[in-house]
Amino acid sequence: MFDFVHENKKWVQIVLALIILPFAFWGIDSYRSSGGGEPLASVNGEKIGPQEFDNALRQQQNRMREAMGDKFDQALFDQPETRHSILENLVNQRLLAMRAHSAGLVVSEEQLVQVIAGIEAFQNNGKFDKQSYASALNSQNMTPVIFEARMRQELGTRQLINAYTMNGYASGAVADNLIRLNEQQRTISTSEIALEPFLKQVSADDAAVKSYYGKNPEEFRMPEQVRVEYVTFSAESLQPQMAVDEDEIRRYYEERQQEFGTQEQRQAAHILISVAAQASVADRQAARAKAEQLLQQAKQSPAKFAELARQHSQDPGSAPNGGDLGMFARGLMVKPFDDAAFQLKPGEISDLVQSDFGFHIIKLIAVQPAKILPLDEARETIAQKLKLQKASDKFAELAEKFSNTAYEQSDTLKPAAELVKMPVQQSAWLNRGQAGTPPWTDKALQAVFAKEVLQDKRNSAAIEIAPDTLLAARVLEHKPAAVRPLAEVGESIRRKLLRQQARELALKQGADLLARLQRGETPNITWKTATAITREQQAGMDGELVRQVFQADVAKLPAYAGAENAQGGYVLARVETVKETAAIDDSKRAAYMQQMRRFTGDELFRAYLADARKHADISMKDFAADDKK
Amino acid sequence: MMAALDLEEQEQVETLKAWWKENGKWLLLALALILGGYAAIQGWRSYQSNQALAASTLFHELTRQIESGDPRRINDAADAVTANYGGSAYAPRALLLAAQVNIQTGDPARARTQLQWVIKHADEEGLKNVARLNLAGVLLDEKNFAGAQELIEAPHPESFDGLYADLKGDVLSAQGKKEEARAAYRKALEKTDVKNTYHSLIRMKLEALGDKK
Repeated sequence: MFDFVHENKKWVQIVLALIILPFAFWGIDSYRSSGGGEPLASVNGEKIGPQEFDNALRQQQNRMREAMGDKFDQALFDQPETRHSILENLVNQRLLAMRAHSAGLVVSEEQLVQVIAGIEAFQNNGKFDKQSYASALNSQNMTPVIFEARMRQELGTRQLINAYTMNGYASGAVADNLIRLNEQQRTISTSEIALEPFLKQVSADDAAVKSYYGKNPEEFRMPEQVRVEYVTFSAESLQPQMAVDEDEIRRYYEERQQEFGTQEQRQAAHILISVAAQASVADRQAARAKAEQLLQQAKQSPAKFAELARQHSQDPGSAPNGGDLGMFARGLMVKPFDDAAFQLKPGEISDLVQSDFGFHIIKLIAVQPAKILPLDEARETIAQKLKLQKASDKFAELAEKFSNTAYEQSDTLKPAAELVKMPVQQSAWLNRGQAGTPPWTDKALQAVFAKEVLQDKRNSAAIEIAPDTLLAARVLEHKPAAVRPLAEVGESIRRKLLRQQARELALKQGADLLARLQRGETPNITWKTATAITREQQAGMDGELVRQVFQADVAKLPAYAGAENAQGGYVLARVETVKETAAIDDSKRAAYMQQMRRFTGDELFRAYLADARKHADISMKDFAADDKK
Repeated sequence: MMAALDLEEQEQVETLKAWWKENGKWLLLALALILGGYAAIQGWRSYQSNQALAASTLFHELTRQIESGDPRRINDAADAVTANYGGSAYAPRALLLAAQVNIQTGDPARARTQLQWVIKHADEEGLKNVARLNLAGVLLDEKNFAGAQELIEAPHPESFDGLYADLKGDVLSAQGKKEEARAAYRKALEKTDVKNTYHSLIRMKLEALGDKK
């Protein structure tokens, strides 16, 4: 609706805006306990300690990392502006909490419970779950007592803030004005005065180039650079070196049959006459007699096995199913049972089998043979697995030796490279503080720009740049931070100066033409075909030109406007027609008013906060001053 | 024990007894008063906090009614807060929310009464300003320019200057006083932070008046 977003916002500004995101529920996870150390700020006598600040900083980093992904830049958080705004946010939170308290804003137990129960992280299947609550808090290193106290304070603060942000206002008359303004259509023709033709009319001599070079050293500053040789090795890179022989593959295959398919399974039924472990000899005899009688019956008429089981089996789990135990693999049943079941043929009935449970009569119902990938087809996968495992073991074994070798023989990388059988590679130029493609992570750069590496020309420590990946480096060449020589940059300075002058000429001609047009003269200008634009639909026109077009006085048509364009030239515009918007419908007006209420509501809160700060006794650490030291 | 005391000590004990006879009851009375006072303060505090809790609960109920969007229920809830806990921080908050709903559902008269109550009775200076600016907005749309103007001239903290100037611009521009409206908007631009969308909103209004700069 409103096109309010400034396009030229720098990253830093966006970041600052994110940081000031007002008080998200999870935003106040800064511990109250000030820990040790000198306080960074104080609000009406209450202190904000380094621990609270560090917690807030870390949380902000996590949030940014989630929001920005790859674009996340850790260095941002070392900047004094960022640190200042984080501290300021903490100060504001503390101040608002105090204000809420003294105004008498309180949160009842029920409200607290309701809010906490409504937080998704604490729910399981859409319902509050105590277990989830406890573990979610635990993962944040927090106890329910601290969390609930914090939440209570946060909710109180929210009541304070909402009285401002939720009570913005808007006037219908103003909304109508804005709609008319946004939707008024102006048809314009344009004519561009490009910069390039003026290049022929200008010149820049060596003296001018030199003077520019002298006055703008910042532009030509080069960061400190270094080129290194390095050895990197990882579990993965060791893999090709690993040999696996046929025996190992065969052993693996035999020991882990279940990985390559399903084992043989058998389906059996049984009749159990149970005997308690502590049964007397007489009882045992009686049971055996009964079992033998049943065995005889079963052998006589095997078809009645199921019926016999149903009537006489003392295994309550299987008796109702005619003794059927379903499919089972080798080793799942008690040993005597297992042995017997895997010796029978389908349909065959066993003799009495004695186990800890008592006497079994077993009938094998079916056999499902094993389905196993043949060794030949499994060989490649097994070899790969074994290699990976060996490489990982090898890596663990070599990692320490590698570190020690790089450290002890610190004037060459060769022994370390030979140890892990990896080549010594050479890097391109690396800039200090500018992480690049792997392996040149921040951590790696820190290692190669360390003093002992740079000045003492020693090997860097072996550092882990990724899981199971080590790198050691030594410097080949080093360039300190410097200003590029004039000879190298002279030509680009000359081009820049020429363009600057040409641009001035183009702009001057544009302004002259505009003035003549506005006086009613008719200079010779080729206009492009007309386009209709509104403030919202700019048809790809430059933002500044559109602004000028809509500020042009259209009491008399055609009217004229002009503006510099992004290419350094000038664009003239001739306003030919003006069309007001048709009737304004209610829903559009309501939408505009809704937006305006939001804006005034936010501003009400800002005004309140500014006033509260003015009346509070606040002191804050100056990060910028710290930086200059 | 007494026998163990020497004469001098016995004399001191006697003096003490005489003094106690004379002043003891006053001392006890003073002690009773102090204890009583302390109990009263504690009692008052606990009464206060109970009142605040009750008001908070009622207010919470109101915020839930807001979601229903039913003005009758919302106004009833707001009235319940002010009738029972008129001195609490929740009374002005309840009325501001209710007034919001009344403005948007076409009952500006009721909204006016509610906002006036806040201007008159709220303890928090900030909320009075919220009510004043809201009320001025209502009067502006009712074309009661004089009434709106009067509210806008009210003294207010400096940090609210931008809001007041902006609304002043609205009131003046609605009366067709373009030149004065421009001056008000320009002041509002000056008093608001260029980073905020609110600033851009004011700029648009200024441009709508055909400002050249």
